[in-house]
Amino acid sequence: MTTHHPSDDEFDASDASLTRFDLVKEGARRDGVQIVHYAPRFPVPGTRAERRIERLLAFLFLLTGLAGTAFVVAYIAWPWKYGEGDSTYRSLYPYYTPVLGATLGLALLTLGLGIVVWSKKLLPEEVSIQERHDGPSDSTEQVLTAATILNMGDELGLKRRRFVGMAFLAGAAPLGAVAGALLVGSLIKAPTQNGDNIFFTTGWDPKYNDGKPVRLTHEDGTPIRPADVSVGGQITVFPGIPHGASNKWADSPTLLIHLREVDAEATLSKAKEINKGSQWENFVAYSKICTHAGCPASLYEQQTNRLLCPCHQSQFQITDNARPIFGPASRALPQLPITVDDEGYFIATSDYKIPVGPAFWERP
Amino acid sequence: MTSEQSKRPLARLVPGGARAARGKLRRRLSAAVRLVAALTLAGGLYTAYAPGVGRAEETVKLSESAAEGKAIYEVSCITCHGRNAQGVDNRGPSLIGVGSAAVEFQVNTGRMPLARQEAQAERKQPQFNEDQAAQLGAYIQELGGGPQLPSAESLNEEIKKAAGSDKILAHGGELYRVNCSSCHAFSTGGGALSSGKFAPSLKHSTNRDIYAAMLTGPQNMPVFGNNQLSPDDKAAIIAYIQDLNKNQASDPGGWNLGRYGPVPEGLVIFLVGIAALVFATLWIAGKS
Amino acid sequence: MKRRKIDVRALPANSAKAIDERFQAATPLRRLMNKVFPDHWSFLLGEIALYSFVVLLLSGIFLSLFFDPSLREVVYEGSYAPLRGVEMSQAYNTALHISFDVRGGLFMRQMHHWAALLFMAAIVVHMFRIFFTGAFRKPREANWIVGVLLFWMGFLEGFGGYSLPDDALSGTGLRIASAIMLSIPIVGTWVTTSLFGGEFPGEVILDRLYIVHVLLVPGALLGLISVHMGLLVKQKHTQWPGPGRTNENVVGVRMFPGFAAKAGGFFMIVFAMIAALAGLFQINPIWLFGPYKAAVVSAASQPDWYVMFLDGSTRLFPAWEIRFDFFYGDGYTIPAIFWPTVVLPGILTMLPIFYPFMEARFTKDKAVHNLLQRPRDNPLRTALGSMAIAFYVVLLISGGNDVFADKFHISLNAMTWAGRIGILIIPPLAYYVAFRIALGLQQHDREVLAHGVETGIIRRLPDGKFVEIHQPLPSANGHEDGHHGLDYAGWVVPKKMNRLGALAPTVKGFFYPIEKAGPAPKPRQLDSDTDRDREEITSGH
Repeated sequence: MTTHHPSDDEFDASDASLTRFDLVKEGARRDGVQIVHYAPRFPVPGTRAERRIERLLAFLFLLTGLAGTAFVVAYIAWPWKYGEGDSTYRSLYPYYTPVLGATLGLALLTLGLGIVVWSKKLLPEEVSIQERHDGPSDSTEQVLTAATILNMGDELGLKRRRFVGMAFLAGAAPLGAVAGALLVGSLIKAPTQNGDNIFFTTGWDPKYNDGKPVRLTHEDGTPIRPADVSVGGQITVFPGIPHGASNKWADSPTLLIHLREVDAEATLSKAKEINKGSQWENFVAYSKICTHAGCPASLYEQQTNRLLCPCHQSQFQITDNARPIFGPASRALPQLPITVDDEGYFIATSDYKIPVGPAFWERP
Repeated sequence: MTSEQSKRPLARLVPGGARAARGKLRRRLSAAVRLVAALTLAGGLYTAYAPGVGRAEETVKLSESAAEGKAIYEVSCITCHGRNAQGVDNRGPSLIGVGSAAVEFQVNTGRMPLARQEAQAERKQPQFNEDQAAQLGAYIQELGGGPQLPSAESLNEEIKKAAGSDKILAHGGELYRVNCSSCHAFSTGGGALSSGKFAPSLKHSTNRDIYAAMLTGPQNMPVFGNNQLSPDDKAAIIAYIQDLNKNQASDPGGWNLGRYGPVPEGLVIFLVGIAALVFATLWIAGKS
Repeated sequence: MKRRKIDVRALPANSAKAIDERFQAATPLRRLMNKVFPDHWSFLLGEIALYSFVVLLLSGIFLSLFFDPSLREVVYEGSYAPLRGVEMSQAYNTALHISFDVRGGLFMRQMHHWAALLFMAAIVVHMFRIFFTGAFRKPREANWIVGVLLFWMGFLEGFGGYSLPDDALSGTGLRIASAIMLSIPIVGTWVTTSLFGGEFPGEVILDRLYIVHVLLVPGALLGLISVHMGLLVKQKHTQWPGPGRTNENVVGVRMFPGFAAKAGGFFMIVFAMIAALAGLFQINPIWLFGPYKAAVVSAASQPDWYVMFLDGSTRLFPAWEIRFDFFYGDGYTIPAIFWPTVVLPGILTMLPIFYPFMEARFTKDKAVHNLLQRPRDNPLRTALGSMAIAFYVVLLISGGNDVFADKFHISLNAMTWAGRIGILIIPPLAYYVAFRIALGLQQHDREVLAHGVETGIIRRLPDGKFVEIHQPLPSANGHEDGHHGLDYAGWVVPKKMNRLGALAPTVKGFFYPIEKAGPAPKPRQLDSDTDRDREEITSGH
């Protein structure tokens, strides 16, 4: 931009001959902005094209008002309570939220369209150029600021009075540790409880049942007999202790499976050392908590005897120690040793022999 | 659960357990009586038009409908399941003891007869009508016994009753989430199983289909016998499923996107949300 | 006493004066209003995220009036019949209360959720734009890093929101989160028990998550967004190269009223989109999922889409557990899940943060860049970006592979294997393809600049040869000297006849004499195109 501009002092804002746009241009110039092109869209007022735009805008904004009103009316008057009222009320209910969405959406859309059209069609065409000044500050400035900063160190005498500085640090560090200590100290919780690592015990441990073996129960706490599960069936069982089916014992849900005769025999013959004696006749019980990420692995396929976890698709072969055969899980599901007590109900002879659920650092 | 079975209204609709032996005898007797009656009534005319009945008479004493079933069996099922339903190696399993419930489920949902061997039989247009399926079921039932379905009317009535009570409906929901949702999904839309197998959608299943599936555990589905889920529990579960499927009010938030969870939601935000807004930006910043 | 009359007409001027006497606002205010913004559609993508964030704040405040993040057991007594009488946590109870017993509550819940999905989607799309145009280069590296942090903050915030209602899906997600924490070597169990206040799920996690979701992370988001915007204002917007646009200026419209009106209008349009989605598309129907119970799960358990890529990596990663067995004790374990869920996100954070510096170092480019690059002009970067997107998309699809397997009747195991193989071969393939496409487009641009636009008009030369006539381009500075080859200046090169794009004046006859031309193209060797050809084209149509 080579044209000469008057300096700020030469400019007389009170000059009556200046138009308002002259003032705007001067303001912009002072802000480093040059308005290089500025033309009204409709130099001649009241042309048909202009009136068309105005009508369109009026239509859009009126529609905004209409849709907004419709929203308020629907919000108040449209049936909105689930399962109430007569059959008309019930048939209208599912459309409450859609009506709100449609009316509010329309109101906002027409408003937005109107504003954009206003800006695109009625505001003057404009091209402005703003200069950037984003090089580094000039070197004198840099030196002056650096000196000011370094002088702070001198003023405090960090070099001369090194001892005081050290003492300050020695004092401030523990104070800083207070914040950390409060946060960590209040939140920290050891993974042990009464001397046991909580990741190694579940609700099947007899110690939660006054030392007696824990029964396998339904969700409602009723115990389970062998006759309750058909061949090829499976059932989710919970430890028969108070709140055994609640999330307090989130590591305890177990899948009790009634295998077919042949499958049961195969399972028995393949049992690893740790799983020996865990099977009761044709029944096996495996932890439902996936050894990968802890989701309930409970998609049991009764013909293939595979168990699938729906979160990451790990697959376990029930008839072979619930060994992982596909997917990201690397460990077999732990087997719960079960038998039937004198009253004919299933019990766990002991807790799981290995930790259930996802693996962790200390896990053997 | 089983101890209370006899007190529950639906239990009497379902033969099984201790009563099975007695029932079998009575069934045989009544079958014979009915066969004789039918023959007397229909006379020679009937035998002339249905030569299969004549042959059935020679081997096992079958009821009239079972005899009809046998005729169908020998045309459509015998290739894979063998003569007398004893199964053919690598083709089809034995049907002895599967009961009429399993047969009616497989035939009514079009899964059987199977067109070709796949990872899993799929629901398709049934080849036989419900009466024919019942006849097939009767034939298999009389061959080897097994679980049977309650009649459609009584079942529907029970389910209607269950759906009428919030408490039972909620109970059905809890049972559904513990026992069924892991495979069929919270939304009844089904889900994938290992190696190409899948749990089918329940959206178009009839009450009786669902009941039969629970009772018999078709293909890879575990069996939920009446000892595990009582007929009342089953009715509650079915009522809950049908409420999700048929009650429009269970989707009050607009189009449910098939209820397949966050995957379609993610697709919508890009294909609808971002796509539309990018067009908006093109228009806003455009010259025209 | 005589009452002083207030001159209403002079009131605004007097108030303005009074304000300026106290705050000296005139200069900075005018400077702000005169700030110039360039106009291009791709510059509006980030705004979608900003506006979604505003909607998130508004709808979130509404929800917080009714939500109680407590894990206390209650019995549901609300309107939704199929859950009545069911035991559940107070958090789930109040989430259901919002959905069924607060007028318009479901609408607001859905608005909050859709806005969250849009927020993250816009961030990702905006990031792609920044990356492929080189807008992250000096001096904007810091703002790029802030953007990366914004993505991860949004990720955390979204996951928190997904977990709070304590439905069966959110509980499953939290359980996986606890498994991820557990997998951290040495401190895993301590971190998990400390955060959950014991073994999963404990009793405190939702209360803690709630304060993180409504205060800490939104605070961090607000702070980061302020820095993001502040740096944008300070450093001014980048712009596409074009006539008059240089590295030292910004060409566009002043902020007020032109830009502000467009931005305000666009805010309304984004808001409208969210409202329409919230009303017409059901999202996260928690009443179908039931309360969280450790034994309950559903087929197709997925996180929201922005977490899905990590779910995908978790699904694909093989069962590679590392064991340290010593002569004594039980040894130690690094679970397989540690790599795709802790290490991979770490890499995915660090790589983009350092990318601007790595690129500058590799290309030995220390210059300040205010002009954007077209993706084709930097094939290496474009190829790397495509590779990253391919990597991301394979993970994303794998995150929903069970749904795709089920709905398209593909074996689930096959989907997993396709993902495992795909993650290795598709990104390099994307790299190669993007690189070749960029080079091809460059080539084509060069041809047009040298010979003009293809017209489709075939002429027969006297010697019987057939040639296609090319329409020569006008020169960049508008003088009729365009019938020789032009230099490429990073501008859009016209590809259609008589539509000469950015090289042609935007506003005919008035615009380009004033707007300063960019770097003048150097004359090149003469081409076969002549003035005669040009007349023929213009007169023939």
